[in-house]
Amino acid sequence: MRIIWIKSFFLLFFLCIILRLFYWQVVRAEFLQAQAEEQHFTDVRVAALRGNIFFSDGFLMTSSNPSFSLFGQPKLISKEKKVETGYLLARNLVGGEENIDILAKEFINKLSQDLFWVSLERGLSFETKKKLEGLNLEGVGFDLGSNRFYPEGSSSAHILGFVGSDSRGGNKGYFGLEGYYDGELKGISGLIRHEKDAMGLPILIGNFLTSDAKNGKNLETYIDRSIQFIVETALKKGIEKYGAKAASAVVMDPKTGGILALASLPNYDPAKFSSFPKEFYKNPIVADQYEPGSTFKVLVMAAALNEDVLKPDTKCDICAGPISLGGFTIRTWNNQYRPESTMTDVIIHSDNTGMVFTSKKLGIDKFYSYLENFGFGSSTNIDLQDEFSPEIRSKETFKEIDLATASFGQGIAVTPIQMVRAVSAIANGGYLMEPHIVKTITDEEGSFEINPKIIRQVIKEPTAQMVKEMMVAAVNDGEAKFAKPKGFKIAGKTGTAQIPVAGHYDANKTIASFVGFAPADDPKFVMLVRYDEPSSSIFGSETAAPTFFEIAKQLFTYFRIAPSE
Amino acid sequence: MTIIKTFDTEENKNKFPKKYIILSILGLFMLTIIEIWASNTAVAFGESFEKLSLSEKNLKMENQILKNEIAKKASLSNIASRSAELGFSVSQSIQYIR
Repeated sequence: MRIIWIKSFFLLFFLCIILRLFYWQVVRAEFLQAQAEEQHFTDVRVAALRGNIFFSDGFLMTSSNPSFSLFGQPKLISKEKKVETGYLLARNLVGGEENIDILAKEFINKLSQDLFWVSLERGLSFETKKKLEGLNLEGVGFDLGSNRFYPEGSSSAHILGFVGSDSRGGNKGYFGLEGYYDGELKGISGLIRHEKDAMGLPILIGNFLTSDAKNGKNLETYIDRSIQFIVETALKKGIEKYGAKAASAVVMDPKTGGILALASLPNYDPAKFSSFPKEFYKNPIVADQYEPGSTFKVLVMAAALNEDVLKPDTKCDICAGPISLGGFTIRTWNNQYRPESTMTDVIIHSDNTGMVFTSKKLGIDKFYSYLENFGFGSSTNIDLQDEFSPEIRSKETFKEIDLATASFGQGIAVTPIQMVRAVSAIANGGYLMEPHIVKTITDEEGSFEINPKIIRQVIKEPTAQMVKEMMVAAVNDGEAKFAKPKGFKIAGKTGTAQIPVAGHYDANKTIASFVGFAPADDPKFVMLVRYDEPSSSIFGSETAAPTFFEIAKQLFTYFRIAPSE
Repeated sequence: MTIIKTFDTEENKNKFPKKYIILSILGLFMLTIIEIWASNTAVAFGESFEKLSLSEKNLKMENQILKNEIAKKASLSNIASRSAELGFSVSQSIQYIR
């Protein structure tokens, strides 16, 4: 009996062992395997490099620069060493006793926390990292990251945008090209999974799994480095000379829609974007609405000529004096009236009464249709993140006075990019182009060209030619003729639009602009220059026009264009 | 001519020669030693591999930094300020020769 009991006891004992072994080796097998892999394998994330952006001549607009984050491991630093570590780090990072003291105390506070890991400093250069590594400090290490590098400084800030952080602390582009092409630029991180020994070093004959990082794609733009520099220099001079609150300019190739230069002031340094007011991030060329004023007249005139309701030599029979309409009085800008002005005279002298005549001939239906055809009220689809398109009120809400004021560019809101795109249709024979900054997207596998896109033909070629001649006459005989470079055929139009303030127009505050293209017979560029609230003179002919001509003169030299007249 | 053959008993003729067994054992032993040596050496390469990998990363980084420095020196803003320092100025008039 006792032997049976002992036998049963041992049987039970071995059964328990077998069951327990079954539990660990079968039931919990996957869990143990995962734990073992965690101990034996190490994953190293291979960061993808953010793509570069280039000017049209292949020079860098922006690239990535290695940067390092300094971290501390408080539990690995003894209490006595924390103060010494803090001061050693601070001395090598900043200058001036006061600054060293402040920074050292910050580091000591962080290292005194009951944590395994604390972030101490970010954005350190490679040289600084090497210097700090040379101190051989315990409990201090570096994480590799990257930040954006801008060889031209704050130039092209509104084109590029900037790279900040997303909600998970990763890099994300905002505004401009960085925002629009963020997906293409950021790339895909890779992974290296290898077996490690007890020291954490890779075992070469062990398992080694790799997933290559895919670096971000590079962007080649239409932006011409020299033209961008010329435009920015001219704007900086102009904003000071004319005492304006803001200035902007955009230069476009009318044949391809490629943007050759785009600049706005005030701007910001994309490398230090957080030090600038957020209002500066917005690109006024694509996101700011304004009333175009007299520059809009060339488009309304183009519409009327295209519809054959007028000819360049048609005489205006209501231009003898101010016009009363719907309880309002419409006057010319200088209160001078020319009875029997031709349509060409209307453009040369920027005659508001002549434009009222034109709009009456055109009619609201056709006016509205050309408004849409020229691309107003809808986005241009330019490849910049922050584009905004102001709404055009519905046709039904247009009264007679609204049509009249819209004909000379008041009571209607546009963006500069919409305006320059519409005028480029006159420059290139009548075709509305889609504006683009980026020409080609390239990566390790190849390149993808973004072809110029014609949206539609807005006006016929003969009409474009007629309007072109009117604009040339406006430059040669209009208010801005004294600033025009001699010998060159330039087509253009000045604009001086009053700014609406609290339901009425402020006579002393204007948006002064000039839009044009040259050489008129075979345009290489279309350009819009705009000053917000210039204080030296409110008129476009005395502010924006001279800046336009100054830039144009330099562009003629740059493009090797000789005078033709 | 007399050919003297060594006389071997029937038993001995059927036995596998000892020397082949000894040679095989020796061969296996040598292969084992070589395999242990090779594994140890390869495992210890982990540290060298890590050093080389780090060295490659550092060189690529320095390369990128240098490229960026060149781009900065070749920037138009830098060229414009250096030109001004050297006395260059914008031409006031241009003559066109046909």
